Amino acid sequence: MPRFGRLCMVEPGARRGRREGGILLSLTSVVALLSLWEVAAGTGWIHEAFFPRPTVIGAQFTALVREGILGQHLSVTLGRLLWSFLVSALPGVALGLVLGVWRTAREVVDPLVAFVYPIPSVLFLPLAAIVLGRGEAARVATAAVTSFLLVVINTTAGVRQLDRSLVEAAMHYGARGWRLFTKVLLPGSLPWIFTGLRLALGLTLIVVIAVEMVGAETGLGAWLWLSWQTLRVRDMYAGLLVIALLGMAVTYGLEAVRRRLLPWVQEGESKL
Amino acid sequence: MQETLRQAPQEKEVALAKPPPKVVVWDLEVTYLVGRRRVTALQNFSLEVQAGEFCCIVGPSGCGKSTFLRVLAGLVSHTAGRVEIRREDASRPLTAMVFQEHALLPWRTVLDNVAFGPENRGIPKAERYRHAREILAKMGLSGFEHAYPHQLSGGMKQRVGIARALANDPEVLLMDEPFAALDAQTRNLMQEELLRVWAQFGKTVIYVTHAIDEAVLLGDRVVVMTARPGRIKAVVPVNLERPRTLEQKGSARFAELYNEIWYLLREEVDAALREAVYG
Amino acid sequence: MTSRVFGRREVLLPQELRAVTGVVVAALAWEALSRGGVLNPAYFPPTSQILQVLWRDFRGGDLALHTLATLGRLGSAFLLASLPGLGIGILMGLFTAARRALDPYVAFLYPLPKVALLPLLLILLGVGNPAFVVTGSLTAFFQIVVNTMDAVRHVDPLLVEVGRNYGARGIRLFWKVILPAALPGILTGLRLGLGLSLVTVIAVEFAIAKSGLGHLVWRSWQMLATPQMFAAFLVVGGIGILLTRGLKRVQDRLLRWQPTVDVWA
Repeated sequence: MPRFGRLCMVEPGARRGRREGGILLSLTSVVALLSLWEVAAGTGWIHEAFFPRPTVIGAQFTALVREGILGQHLSVTLGRLLWSFLVSALPGVALGLVLGVWRTAREVVDPLVAFVYPIPSVLFLPLAAIVLGRGEAARVATAAVTSFLLVVINTTAGVRQLDRSLVEAAMHYGARGWRLFTKVLLPGSLPWIFTGLRLALGLTLIVVIAVEMVGAETGLGAWLWLSWQTLRVRDMYAGLLVIALLGMAVTYGLEAVRRRLLPWVQEGESKL
Repeated sequence: MQETLRQAPQEKEVALAKPPPKVVVWDLEVTYLVGRRRVTALQNFSLEVQAGEFCCIVGPSGCGKSTFLRVLAGLVSHTAGRVEIRREDASRPLTAMVFQEHALLPWRTVLDNVAFGPENRGIPKAERYRHAREILAKMGLSGFEHAYPHQLSGGMKQRVGIARALANDPEVLLMDEPFAALDAQTRNLMQEELLRVWAQFGKTVIYVTHAIDEAVLLGDRVVVMTARPGRIKAVVPVNLERPRTLEQKGSARFAELYNEIWYLLREEVDAALREAVYG
Repeated sequence: MTSRVFGRREVLLPQELRAVTGVVVAALAWEALSRGGVLNPAYFPPTSQILQVLWRDFRGGDLALHTLATLGRLGSAFLLASLPGLGIGILMGLFTAARRALDPYVAFLYPLPKVALLPLLLILLGVGNPAFVVTGSLTAFFQIVVNTMDAVRHVDPLLVEVGRNYGARGIRLFWKVILPAALPGILTGLRLGLGLSLVTVIAVEFAIAKSGLGHLVWRSWQMLATPQMFAAFLVVGGIGILLTRGLKRVQDRLLRWQPTVDVWA
């Protein structure tokens, strides 16, 4: 062994520079898959009756859009979605704020919420139909149940995670009652409220589609169900495409809205 | 073997050849990309550190002190120049870093955190635990082996951080502002503790800090860096006698060294501020 | 908050007790309202009657069989989803190329309500359990992929530096640092995935299956057998609570190293 040890070059770190602008790979991947699908269906490797070629689906999609049929169903579904969301979000936030500060009310309501929340919303359709009659109101109410509870749970959690000293300081400086709600509790728990709203909107869409599939004549879910029963596969794919676009708009749209309106608000961790 | 070399260097050999430095950094340059702009973090940076030396590095914030440590640790690549560490024993790692925010793995107990380095080198379980317990005992942490990091105070977490580094038995110990996040009292305690441990283990230490008093108290030399791009502005030898204690902070010699470094650093802090304000 | 080791128990036990009291009070109120005629007993039968039906049908086997059918579908759907979901999520989290290549599909299909895929799957797989299970499993699959990918991507880079400086590289770095650091996010994904799977499986049963709790609710509704309907509700709610609470507990157990969250009561 050498007297003073061996000189060792410090190995350069393994960290590589990050390349930006990798959209190309994403694009290639999509184009490749669609072309493969096109060729496979065209040459009969996969059954064209089940997997119509992307170009055929595209043509059908544009035809249905041009005739306004998909637009009609979309507007029906959108209407139900918005109503359910409104009906669940506003009371949900209000109740959540109250439960956040009022311990007794929380203790009474908590177990009921915990029990009802995990019941999948679709199951409430019969109950809603019994109470509200078989109609639009029942469908909207069914989709609103779980998202209402989702908003309540997240808002309550948002209030409760607020720094207690912050609330005490606000009260010390004279913010009480309504002022305390609007000036401290609401803005302070906004990140969690937003998480609740986002999850609620996503879930509402699921339930609206499901309800339409089993108990409606119009709407995108009903369109899908009908195309299945009459085996109009191309119509089904076109419907799926609209639903997927709607899902993307709901999921990423709300996030864009938040970033636009409330750029300082980071979403809170969901309390589920 | 290393011990005997350090303790009894024969007169003749010393006369013939000064012991070669432990760390040689020659004309180091580090640049990286921020968006499209290439930023130079370090430039013309040359430094030699002797075996067993405690070398402190101070500089204005953002001058590349931490980058330098990360180059030594092999976590950041340099774009030009040479960095060499003299290795005594091929089975030992070149460096072990004590991080600013302790950076303990939160899912591991204290014992498993300290045994982390040896575990990665394939040391058998019984042996690495025995070794880790030994080091924990020397750091005054016996009894906390099975605690999780979140159960410890800030000072204790950083003691575990130091124990983890010592347990890996590196050629060079790297410390990146290890006490910056602690309160003043704890920091004083930890400085004393570190002096004691360093005397006991005799490691070569490269210690980055922004606190001048800390650098003077701990270091054999204080390297003062310029504002970005980081270069070496001056090297101030600290000729205070060892073993050092906190009381030395009150001595005239200490104040003299402190002022000398403070003056050097102030020019750089001003420069950094100008850069920040006026671009 | 009290000491971390014992604080949990002290806080949790009375809370569970209070929860039970709340449910009992609600049940008694329901009973009274129904018997008193405030709620129409034809639509809202008294609690005692619901419980009787629940007990009778469980022993008679009908309700038990439907419960088993639902649980079987849910279990298979979750198993089918979790392993590939974890694998693909981890790949997408670790490797930029995998993420770039697969992200368009995940971004497109993740927000799609998976129930909407049921008709397509019915055509491909025929009306039967395979189609029901795959629909339920797709829901969980995308949830698991997205959560796993995010968790792996957002591992604290400082911990990765620690791992590398202390000699953990390659597969070792993954096992010893990245995976444990990402575990909380991954477990959350599994939990959410299971919950969403239940929603989808029930919806599918409601729509088309000839067995399972969803079907039972639908059939009771068609025959206006409200006690049976509410009995099925109770079972579904029970399953839901067991799943969410149970999994939360498993998660807390696995993540004992995490500090407990301080929420003021």
